[in-house]
Amino acid sequence: MQISSCSLSPAVKSRLTAAGFHFLSELRGLSPSHICAETGVSQQEALQVLQAVRGGASGGGASVGGASGGGGASVGPPPSLTALQLLQEEQSQRSIFSFCSQLDATLGGGLPVGKTTEICGAPGTGKTQLCLQLVVDVQVPVCFGGLGGQVVVVDTEGSFLLQRVQDIAGAVVKHCSLLVEDDEQRVAMTTFSVETILSNIFLVRCHDYVELLAELHLLPDFLSEHPRVRLLVIDSVAFPFRLHFDELSQRTRLLNGLAQQLIAMATSHNVAVVITNQMTTRLRGGQSQLVPALGESWGHAPTIRLLLQWAGTQRLATIFKSPGHPGATVQYQITSDGFRDADQSEQPPSKRPRTHTVQSATGQRDSNQSSAGQRDSNQSAAGQRDSNQSAAGQRDSNQSAAGQRDSNQSAAGQRDSNQSAAGQRECS
Amino acid sequence: MVVLREGMCPGLDADLVRDLRAAGIKTVEDVVSSDIEDLAQRCSVSYKALFAIRRVLLAQHAAFPVSGADLYEELLSSTAIISTGNPSLDKLLDSGLFTGEITELSGGPGSGKSQVCFGVAVHVSLHLKQSVIFIDTTGGLTASRLLQMMQTESSNPEEQTEALQRIHVFRLFNIFSLLDCLFALRSGRLQQACAGSVKAVIVDSVSAVISPLLGGKQNEGMSLMIQVAGALKTMAKDFNVAALVTNHVTRSDSGGVQPGLGVSWSHIPRTRVLLERRGEGGGGRALQSALCDPDQVLQTALSHQGRVRPAVVEPLERGVVGKEKTGRD
Amino acid sequence: MTESGAQLFARLEARRCLKDIEKKLFPGDGGPENGEVVELYGSEGTGKTELLYHLLSRCLLPLSAGGLEVDVVFMDTDYSLDMLRLVSILDSRLNAARSSSSSSGSDEEVLGSCLSRLLVVHCSSSSQLLLTLHFLETTLTSRPRVALLLIDSISAFYWPDRCEGGTSVTKQEEKLSKCAELLGRLLRDFRITVFATCHAIRRNYSGPSSFSSSSSSSSSSSDIDRPFLCRPWQRLVAHRLLCSKETTNMAANNNREPKRRQMFTVHCTSSSSSSSSSSSKTKSYRSSSFCITDAGVEFI
Repeated sequence: MQISSCSLSPAVKSRLTAAGFHFLSELRGLSPSHICAETGVSQQEALQVLQAVRGGASGGGASVGGASGGGGASVGPPPSLTALQLLQEEQSQRSIFSFCSQLDATLGGGLPVGKTTEICGAPGTGKTQLCLQLVVDVQVPVCFGGLGGQVVVVDTEGSFLLQRVQDIAGAVVKHCSLLVEDDEQRVAMTTFSVETILSNIFLVRCHDYVELLAELHLLPDFLSEHPRVRLLVIDSVAFPFRLHFDELSQRTRLLNGLAQQLIAMATSHNVAVVITNQMTTRLRGGQSQLVPALGESWGHAPTIRLLLQWAGTQRLATIFKSPGHPGATVQYQITSDGFRDADQSEQPPSKRPRTHTVQSATGQRDSNQSSAGQRDSNQSAAGQRDSNQSAAGQRDSNQSAAGQRDSNQSAAGQRDSNQSAAGQRECS
Repeated sequence: MVVLREGMCPGLDADLVRDLRAAGIKTVEDVVSSDIEDLAQRCSVSYKALFAIRRVLLAQHAAFPVSGADLYEELLSSTAIISTGNPSLDKLLDSGLFTGEITELSGGPGSGKSQVCFGVAVHVSLHLKQSVIFIDTTGGLTASRLLQMMQTESSNPEEQTEALQRIHVFRLFNIFSLLDCLFALRSGRLQQACAGSVKAVIVDSVSAVISPLLGGKQNEGMSLMIQVAGALKTMAKDFNVAALVTNHVTRSDSGGVQPGLGVSWSHIPRTRVLLERRGEGGGGRALQSALCDPDQVLQTALSHQGRVRPAVVEPLERGVVGKEKTGRD
Repeated sequence: MTESGAQLFARLEARRCLKDIEKKLFPGDGGPENGEVVELYGSEGTGKTELLYHLLSRCLLPLSAGGLEVDVVFMDTDYSLDMLRLVSILDSRLNAARSSSSSSGSDEEVLGSCLSRLLVVHCSSSSQLLLTLHFLETTLTSRPRVALLLIDSISAFYWPDRCEGGTSVTKQEEKLSKCAELLGRLLRDFRITVFATCHAIRRNYSGPSSFSSSSSSSSSSSDIDRPFLCRPWQRLVAHRLLCSKETTNMAANNNREPKRRQMFTVHCTSSSSSSSSSSSKTKSYRSSSFCITDAGVEFI
């Protein structure tokens, strides 16, 4: 393999080629000091080079994350599998049902695990409600047809409302308790409560895109440590990327990298990735059109795209694209219990409360802290990565914008300081 | 650029390598470009020996010219046209995908690029009984969808199972693993692993891994993009496979659509097909394709009514592989 | 240097001059002289390759079919040589010539002899290009009938070279500069003609965002058409053919009428440094249009 196509930093690569090395195989059998002497790279870089030589096909970007989004840093050489194996893998996986049977039916049983799904919609259409419903549903014990999994929620808008989660969780627990038939389910119900549901949600708040990108770099490690996580929710991906960009191409680039990271995570850690996106108007030939935000190239990122919208007094969910399912539109409603079929009698749509009850979310922080601490200590290691460094550089320029953030920031700010405290504790 | 090592060719021993190094000659290029007479004096080697070394090194590392007549003969016997399984698309592509070439499908989100790729994979594996390499960079490959498509064309479960086994899937989410995979493919390792002749390599999508690297002031992204292109092209040529890649589109203010990845990529594919979604919001999808042949040999526009869902895509005549191509008309 | 008498003879023997390769292309009667370089420049789909095949087939065709009957070396750096397309062009021209005058030899034989005048060499990196150019020296010596060297394209390794060169521009351009220098020497020694294609590269690439494409359409053409390869190469080029497409907005419009005729324009800039006054370079221009048919380029 050519040196120029392996995942080393550009500077190292240009040094190697300047010294006359063109293929990785030419470096085989050389000692680090030999490489240092011949090319002028540092000892550490020489070791990285040799690692690339030895790894041969490991690519992956484990050592150099780069903007390429080496998301699944743990994966080795790309395994080849036949479509038959893939089919068996797909069939062995359960989907996350949404409690809206029509939507589940059109998606072939619910939201697929291992894929990325985007939920788009104007404000008030129920994007967050659907997310919260999924957050609870993924935890339904296996004997009830659920996944019994844990959840990571990345909240960028401050829209994760604990009270609402409690409501939905309560309804789901009640629903399951009515279904109990055998001993196994009875045993499962003893541990399936609102409290355990809340304790299985790992909440991360990100205030700008830099924090979001940094978090995504750390998530693969977190997911490796928590193999029970089956769902990753980012609500929303649009918000941190809507502002603060001088150059749109930079945003596109970052978003494209983020998309690849999410896909890699979904596949290698076997989690369903759910992201929400806002809608924006696009002028086209004098007509204005409501389209998902973040531009057209982002549209390729999610594997499945769900569109939530109002049509008169009805709420409609449309499968805009999906490689496995034909496009379809179904009706749904949002009740006090959560996201449901629209077959029941018309109820006034429950607008999501605008008051901030963020403080109460701190209740689950205990469960978070240990993991957060670990992640913080990881951060220092990750700081050496190229992309993180550049991200840190950008952070400065965004500082001024930070002042504009709304009230929930203060709550989140506390969490930050908590986290670092926790991190210190971990370290000491 | 190849570093001089002892034993590379007869007469090039450790002492000579050291002497050449001392004279500032480190690589094969340096030897070839330098004045042999002067070099022989400086390194106190015989002119003749050095001249012989230069000749051997050149023969080893330069590309060797092939007669056009031989190349044509070889091409006639090896080029095949692979049907996409979709009659209208075949017509648009001048009867199908040509081996040895890169064909590109570009289109916006939900325009049916992946569906066309699935269709090709299913057609090649089920009807032509050939292997397919499917490189999935977007996580969009759904095996159950492949099975569903096979079920519409064959009722024999065994046949379906065999066909599914002929589709080899790589799920790679960054450019370095893609390059790794392509180089491994090119070196023939995977050709063996896949047992049976591979006729099509599908990359869905190539833009997903390249676009995160483009822009900014670094040249690396462009360089890597060209390397992906080179790997695909040489693989298509050397192993006589059809390469099918998908690309996204960029949209100008006026609503005009053009394939993504910019000017430097634009001359890479031999044929580019633009897929567009007509009519918003579910329902039947109508597909409008416009062929943009890079060489403008022909430029046709074709509108094909009906859903892209390849349930509609009917199998073409069998055994198209091996059909000779005598020119484009 | 040891050089046999035969080699010397081959070197000094006059190569076929390609001044009359295509009269409609170059200003005045100033086609490429022996030892001159012609650059074909344009972005995707502007007829560069077709024009190259047109010139190539003119060289390969026998005298009886209106060709020049010379040998050609084709350096394919893009892996883009479409033999089948070339053969179809040759075929249709041979047929046209046969219908006007009854010539001897079967189709296959004549076509075979045309193709045997073509030597193809694939290069996959700029170092290999350089080594191959060195290697060509022996080929040129042994084949005195080689009058044309085609390089498709000379810009193929631009980005990899830029990347490998690190931060220094000299390093980035080093390899192509070496190639250009060597090519200059080959031109002086063997008096062959060189045609090379060069792909347009937008240097300030603004990313594939859905918003940036507008800048590509609005940015002035002069910016895109500016030469970007290294100086040594620019100095070699005597004739620059700028290819462009006449109709606009061909992509994805409702052009439902099939096979709309596409017009291409090629703008030639010749800077022929006349031997009498080598200091003052005179520039001359000419624009010509052509369309592309099954039989290749047809000038209008």
